[in-house]
Amino acid sequence: MEPTPWDPEGVTVVLDPNGQLVGTHPSNLDAKQLYKLLVAARCLDLRLGRAGLPMWASAAGEEAALVSTALVSRESDWIYPGFRDVAVALARGLEIEAIVAGLFAGDEVGPGRIASATHRIAPPTDALGIHLGLASGRAHAQKLDGSGAATFALFGEGLTTTGAFHESTMLASSLGLPLVMVCRSQLWPDGAPAEAGTVGDSVADRAKAAGLWVRRVDGADALGTHAAIEAAADRARQGRGPSLVEVVVTQMHRDPPAHRDPVERLRRHLDNTGAWTQTLQDVIEAEVRGSLDRALRVVNEETSA
Amino acid sequence: MNVLQHLATVIADLLRSDDRRVVLGEDVADGTMLGLTKVAAEDEALAGRLLSTPLSPTVLPAHAAGLAAEGFRPLVIYPEASALVDSLAAVREAAKLGWRHGTQAPVVFIAPLGPGFGLGGGSTEGTASVLARVPGLRVVVLADANEAGAVLRAAVEGWAGDEPTVLLIPRTLALATVEQGADALARPFATPRRVREGEAATVFTWGACLPLVRAAVERSGHDARIVDVECLAPLDRSALAEEAKATGKIVIAHEGPRHCGVGSELAALFADDAILTLDAPVLRITGDDGPLAASSEARALPDLETLTTAITHVATY
Repeated sequence: MEPTPWDPEGVTVVLDPNGQLVGTHPSNLDAKQLYKLLVAARCLDLRLGRAGLPMWASAAGEEAALVSTALVSRESDWIYPGFRDVAVALARGLEIEAIVAGLFAGDEVGPGRIASATHRIAPPTDALGIHLGLASGRAHAQKLDGSGAATFALFGEGLTTTGAFHESTMLASSLGLPLVMVCRSQLWPDGAPAEAGTVGDSVADRAKAAGLWVRRVDGADALGTHAAIEAAADRARQGRGPSLVEVVVTQMHRDPPAHRDPVERLRRHLDNTGAWTQTLQDVIEAEVRGSLDRALRVVNEETSA
Repeated sequence: MNVLQHLATVIADLLRSDDRRVVLGEDVADGTMLGLTKVAAEDEALAGRLLSTPLSPTVLPAHAAGLAAEGFRPLVIYPEASALVDSLAAVREAAKLGWRHGTQAPVVFIAPLGPGFGLGGGSTEGTASVLARVPGLRVVVLADANEAGAVLRAAVEGWAGDEPTVLLIPRTLALATVEQGADALARPFATPRRVREGEAATVFTWGACLPLVRAAVERSGHDARIVDVECLAPLDRSALAEEAKATGKIVIAHEGPRHCGVGSELAALFADDAILTLDAPVLRITGDDGPLAASSEARALPDLETLTTAITHVATY
């Protein structure tokens, strides 16, 4: 398959656009489990998009980064997500009912946002990028404690022009912290606009210059994304310092070619290996939608009561 | 021993007594510009908890709050109170963590405040009032050389709670001699304290202004009581109103701009809660609004003559 303007350059690829394995991924990864979570995350995103949450932004197309971060993390690790990263909560094991209730209640963290002290998902911040500073502090504590735990911070490339991003990477780098930064970079097939903050170079290049271990992967390639985040987390746990995984994503609302969709690409892979059937798909979707409908009904009843 | 040297010994003691305490700042491993970690830096057993960081004005308070969320008790040393305004976004998030996350971030920020070193500019801006407006943040200003170490200890030991606390050291106090440093406060922390009894008027003040107020009261010859507000946020509203009602005649004196200074909030508080017992207009005597050059930084403090006249005016009203 010829590369299109929608295909990112300079990325490590494990799963090609047809879903063929062209690289290696950890053999203990359950690709079917990853797929189920990607589908669930997509269903959740689409349904929430219609639910009228204030300031809601879709993360459709970005699921591989979110789900992989949560799958790679251990119970003792902390995750510092951004605003639209609800899929993290799903993959970290929160029930859909709890997620939906949290998103609509939003008492302390604001509507449309998710946090859970028991699942070690940190609340988002009002001030732009300050969750990166909270995350570097958490990672500093993990290092001082020698606990072998790691901290994950999630954000988009828009944040990488802020002082908060640069200071957090310098703190992590100069102190050798177990911090894994997962940055989703949007793909701009027609060239990046000024507000993207990059001029054809990559966030990974810039972070490398700041002393971080970096990988740039394709967010449409869920196996490659998972492998890179796992390698970064392993380094953090071994005391080998901070890292940044740049995941190049294509937002689905921009109507890209089908192979840019991480859900579809992993489906092709499972189909190739005989692990995917329409029945499997129907069962996953029915289960998620059932829980979602129930959860939204409870929320609606509570709001109208 | 001056106040800064005394505080340095207290910081070393605090590190010795709890190994979850750490110090953050640009040059804490080398003693800091103010020498506040000099004593700790000479003790090998403590050096590992002096965590020098790169200059990080935007995120450092958040970084400290992240450490605190995991059980550490960070002290963050700033070279200048107005640098905390550079950090305002992160200070706000640190102060909100208890509400948002269910667990407070017990960070103590230490910074010098106001005129005294001939710097002018940012040091004359009355930064305390900006910080006092941050929800969830405690703001305490030192006023007494002999109590400085004990107040620091009370802040770090969380006598008034685990909220993030800013402890400001007036530069005019920094080099004052500590004659007999108190080990522990023999009074409640972070609450108004009467430093002179009197019935003719109540003068509310804090920080660098306290010695000026003492001098002005003596010069005026009136028997005015003096109240050191000490904690600018949260204000102990009922205790302050009681002190106002006791004489019904009020002067508020503080360093820094009059406009949106904490004195404005106090005057409004007395209008809200004590107006029926007031017998004279509430007078605010403050520094100039600025900006002020280094050569005129003394104007960030009230003038002794104006202060004396104000006390006489309300006492004889």
